[in-house]
Amino acid sequence: MYGADRHQSGNCMSGRTITLLAVGAMMAGTLSAESHKEFRFNVGPRAGISVNNPYGSISVKPSTGSTVLINAVLHSDKVEVDNTQSGNRIEIQSHLLQSADADSGRVDYEILVPADTSVTLHSSTGTLHAEKLHGDMTLEGAGASVDVRDISNAHVHVKTLNGPVTLTNVQDGHVEVDSLSGAVMLDRVTGPLVQVVSTSGGISYIGDFGSGGEYRLTSHSGDIEATVPEYTSADVSARSVKGEVHDDIPLQPNSHPWFPIEQGRAFMGSMGRAAVSSTVVLRSFSGRIHLRKRAAK
Amino acid sequence: MTCVELQEGLAEIDSGGSAEQLAHLKSCPECSALVQELVLIASTAAELRSADEPSPRVWNSIEIALREEGLIRPQVPHRSLVPASNSSRVWTRWLVPAVALLAIAIGLRVYQNLQTRQVAIVAQPPVYEAQVGLNDADLLQEVSTQAPAMQAQYAENLRRVNEYIQDAKGFADANPNDDEARRSLLEAYQQKAMLFELAMDRSLP
Repeated sequence: MYGADRHQSGNCMSGRTITLLAVGAMMAGTLSAESHKEFRFNVGPRAGISVNNPYGSISVKPSTGSTVLINAVLHSDKVEVDNTQSGNRIEIQSHLLQSADADSGRVDYEILVPADTSVTLHSSTGTLHAEKLHGDMTLEGAGASVDVRDISNAHVHVKTLNGPVTLTNVQDGHVEVDSLSGAVMLDRVTGPLVQVVSTSGGISYIGDFGSGGEYRLTSHSGDIEATVPEYTSADVSARSVKGEVHDDIPLQPNSHPWFPIEQGRAFMGSMGRAAVSSTVVLRSFSGRIHLRKRAAK
Repeated sequence: MTCVELQEGLAEIDSGGSAEQLAHLKSCPECSALVQELVLIASTAAELRSADEPSPRVWNSIEIALREEGLIRPQVPHRSLVPASNSSRVWTRWLVPAVALLAIAIGLRVYQNLQTRQVAIVAQPPVYEAQVGLNDADLLQEVSTQAPAMQAQYAENLRRVNEYIQDAKGFADANPNDDEARRSLLEAYQQKAMLFELAMDRSLP
C-alpha cells in the first residue's frame, strides 16, 4: 500500500531530515497564508480615515497629492480587510473570522494619507504610529504602544491601558493623553493645551513648555519628571500628596500660593519671562515629581 | 423594525421619531429603556452645563465618544462594517458612551458638590452600577469573554484606578476649596470611564 510505503520510507529518513521537512512545511504554510492587500482612495481636503485593527500595527505617513494608499499585510486567511468610502471619509476594519487569534488575526497596515487628513486608529496590541501630519488624530488601544512624531497644528488624543506613549516634536498641538499604566514620554511637545493623565504610569516631559500654553501632567502613583532648558518661561506648581517633589531650578516664589507649600511635597513659582509664561501643573498622589534643568550641550 | 435599525436611527428619535420607531419603542422594553437612559443623560448634562460650565476637555471627551459611536456623525447611508450577529455585543457597544458619560457626569456632580462644600460623597456608589447596570465584575466578565488574555491586566488596572478614586475623594474632602483637588477627582473618574471604554471598545477582538 502507498500509505504503508510512505511510512516505511519515512522510517528510513534521518531525524534531521524529518525535522527540516517539518520546518519547511510549516514555513511554507505560513508564507502561503500571509497575503498583501492594497487599497487606493481619492479624497478631497481634510479627509478622514478610521482604522480598526484588533491585532497588529498601523503606521500612517503623509502622501503626496490627494490619494489615500493602504497596504495591508494579512497574516492568515482568518482575517479579512473590510473597507468603505463615504464621501471624504474612509473606514477600514480588520474583520476577524471564526477562530482567529492574536497571530492568525494579525494585520499590519502601512497607510499614506494627505497630510491634512484626520486619523483615528484603534488596535488592541500592535504599534500605532503617525508622523508628519497636521490633521487631528485619535489613537486608542489597550496594549498598543503609541508613537507620534513631527505633528503640527493638530489635536492629538491618545488613550491606552498599559501601552507606552511617545510623542515627539508636536508643535502647536492640542494634546490629551490618557493612560492607565503605560509610561508617557513627551519630547518637544508644545501647544495651547498639553495634558497627560495617568493612574500608575510615569510621565516624562522634555522641552521648554512653549509660550502661553497650559501644561498639566497628572499621575496617581507614577513619577513625573520634567526636564527643561534654562530659557524656559513658565509658572510652575508641583504637588505630590504622599510623594516627594524636587526642584533643581531656582523659581521666583509665588507670593499668593493657592495651596499650602509643604517642604518636600510641593513647590510653586515662576521662571523666565512672565509675558510669555506657560502654566505648568505637575500633580501626583504618591509618585515623585522632579523638575530638572536640561544639561547644556 | 429591528433593534439594530432603531439604534442606527437614534438621532431621529431626538427630533420626534418616525411612526415605525415609536411603534418599535412601544413594543420593545429594551430599546425603550435605552432611549430613556439616553434622555436622562442628555437632560442631566444640560443641567450640569447650565449650573457650571466644565472644562473644554470634558466636552471634547463627550464629543469624541459620540463621534466614535457614530451618534453625531452626519446622516449618511451607513452599513456597519462588523456583522451585527451578536446582539449582546451590540448592546454593549451602546453602553460604552453611556458609561463614559455617566462616569463623567458623576465626576461633575462631585465637582459641583464640592464647590458648594457638600462633601458627603465618600459612600456614594458608582453611578454605572446604579443606573446602567454595569459594575466592576461586569467589566471583568466582558474582558474575560472578549479577550481573556488581557483579564489580569484589566483587573490590575481596575484595582489601581479604584485606589486613585478613593485617594482623590479623600483629598478633595480634606481640601474642599481646592480647585486642583476637585480636578483630580474628576480625572480619576475619567480614568475609570476610559477603562470601561477600552474594555468594551470595538478594537477588542
